[in-house]
Amino acid sequence: MILSPEILAILILDFIFIFFAIIAFILSIKIFLGWDANSTTKKQYRLEKQSFLTAIIIKYIFIVKVPLFLFFIFTLDKMSNVIIGAMCAAGVVDATPYGIYLFIFKIMNLYFFGYWLVIHNEDIKYETQPYTRLKFGIFIGIFFLFIVELILEWLMFSSINIDKMVSCCGTLYSSSSTSSISIIFHINKTLLLSIFYGNFLFIYIFYLLRKKYLFVIANILFILTAISSLIVFFGTYIYELPTHHCPFCFLQSDYYYVGYLIYTLLFIGTFYGIITGFVEKSKGNKIENYKISVIFNFLYVILVSLYPIIFYIKNGVWL
Amino acid sequence: MKNKINIYLIEYAINSILRQKAKNFFIVFVFILLIFLLTSIFFITNSIKYELETTVDSLPQIIVQKIKAGRQYDIDENVVDQLIKIEGVKDVVSRVWGYYYFANAGVNFSIVGLNEYENQYKNSFKKIIQNVELEKGNTSFMVMGQGVQKVLNENYYDKYFNFIRPNGTLKKVNFAGTFDADTELESNDVIVVSKDTFRDIFDMDENKATDIVVKVSNPKEISMIASKIKLIYPDTRVITSDDLKVSYQNIFDYKSGVFLAIFIISLFTFFIIIYDKSSGLTSEEKREIGILKAIGWKIDDVLKEKFYESFIISSFSYIFGVGLSFIYVYIFHAPLLQNIFTGYSQLKTSFELPFIFDIQTLFLVFFLSVPSYIGATIIPSWRIATLEADEVIR
Repeated sequence: MILSPEILAILILDFIFIFFAIIAFILSIKIFLGWDANSTTKKQYRLEKQSFLTAIIIKYIFIVKVPLFLFFIFTLDKMSNVIIGAMCAAGVVDATPYGIYLFIFKIMNLYFFGYWLVIHNEDIKYETQPYTRLKFGIFIGIFFLFIVELILEWLMFSSINIDKMVSCCGTLYSSSSTSSISIIFHINKTLLLSIFYGNFLFIYIFYLLRKKYLFVIANILFILTAISSLIVFFGTYIYELPTHHCPFCFLQSDYYYVGYLIYTLLFIGTFYGIITGFVEKSKGNKIENYKISVIFNFLYVILVSLYPIIFYIKNGVWL
Repeated sequence: MKNKINIYLIEYAINSILRQKAKNFFIVFVFILLIFLLTSIFFITNSIKYELETTVDSLPQIIVQKIKAGRQYDIDENVVDQLIKIEGVKDVVSRVWGYYYFANAGVNFSIVGLNEYENQYKNSFKKIIQNVELEKGNTSFMVMGQGVQKVLNENYYDKYFNFIRPNGTLKKVNFAGTFDADTELESNDVIVVSKDTFRDIFDMDENKATDIVVKVSNPKEISMIASKIKLIYPDTRVITSDDLKVSYQNIFDYKSGVFLAIFIISLFTFFIIIYDKSSGLTSEEKREIGILKAIGWKIDDVLKEKFYESFIISSFSYIFGVGLSFIYVYIFHAPLLQNIFTGYSQLKTSFELPFIFDIQTLFLVFFLSVPSYIGATIIPSWRIATLEADEVIR
């Protein structure tokens, strides 16, 4: 275990999270079981009060969690200096068996917490609070995922061994590697790119047609195609190096931290795309989520496309 | 509209803070102090780390030491001839150096033996060799750092110094000059003598050396060559400059980590105080909440107002505390606190902390202070917000 200030800070916040999440969890169960909007009993009255506490706790966790996630990646980048063989966060993630699962859980939980917030905002618009039972029911599920994430985080930080050699991102993300990720390198680049742009086109078409569920599916697929095309094709233009495919290195200062922008755009775009299928927006701003989703996905496409285009204009060749 | 920030609410929050000056002043004051202390520690470590890392770059790429029974022993000079044969090695130099304990002042001098005709493994030594001829006839000379000269002068040695050999006899060595002041961090406690004088002082064999320094043409080959040396001489310890860098980062992460661990206790205590302070309400505050609710404020509005309040207090303290520690560390060079990291030795180097602007430190302190403060106020705020209007006003 490395006793670095960054890791300690993350663990302290994790501790605060657990403390509050458990309170929210217990209250959620109470509310989920006992909620009855029509009753005028003392119990219902108390539950209503407690629902405010639960909501504010969950909001608090989410608001701190988003910047903390960026800080987490930042920390991994810094730790790569200490761990032999690691050059960026990819190597640190790969250093323990928990790393990759932790990453998946962290991203998944961001989507879930965001989704919870959207339902909550929708819920408190109505006097009857129609989604209250639903939202606290959902939180019971999210709580377990969240606890798994925190346990994984603890396991990962405590099992990192600085003397052990790890692979750097250059070998992890290459066609020669034997990991499951190498499959995407065998797909034809032109095919992958046409799928990527085609996928975005579908998002736009479904937006025009207002096909809710198709729009959601297109957005979920967009996460996958966007990330795999980023690894296989666009990344090489960010690095201006045909052999470097790492999806972490462009988070570093050498590339002006552009990765944070890339992933933020992708997250906002797909997040608002996915929740359109799960939340009934009140009238008036019904298409607002669609719009946000399409705009941010479009910005993402523009941003990653600019790299190869500028490279071509500068050098006159493709990589 | 729901997500927009309500300016009137912020204004109300600021006024509410100002209304309870005495209570909030105490909180802000202690909070600023805590943040100031924490940030200063991180700033100092960052600067020292930076300073050391630049020093490491000027250190030899590979050091070979002989290990016997877990202890370092003198290494044979003829190892040099074997090492120079390894592909990629540019230069191999044997070093003789050690520590001499000067009992009168209770300090250790680092003594380095150099020969004029050899390739020097350090640029600063090259300069010394050029400036001073170490061997003038039979008399021996020494060149020393500013700190050493000061200590010797205080003990009435101003022309020569008597070293005591292992067998108790004296070895008289004349002064030949001092180092430039700009290398103070690395040379404050150093004495340079000729290799012969060194061997004479410490009674060391002619064909032995303290350790061996290897220079490599291509820095990327360092680790490969280090493993080759280890294969040829299994009884050696091979240290590369990367090893040193990693251990420096570990030492300083550890030092500031331990400090942080202690610091957490005070932070925790502080938050208990915060929790207590914001739970205890005066009758006036209670009436205020009652009136607000009576004129139509919802629970959510009160919660939001309380959130703004704690956010304003914590970010104000954060900005103020960080600003103060910038001034303290980089303008006043951190009196007192610096000693935690540099030690108390008599020959301690006094150096300036270089200005390093590290955004990550600012984020780190932010995450430690602001979210935890807001966290501490969540439950009290909720208690206040759910007070019954009629009960309170009555």
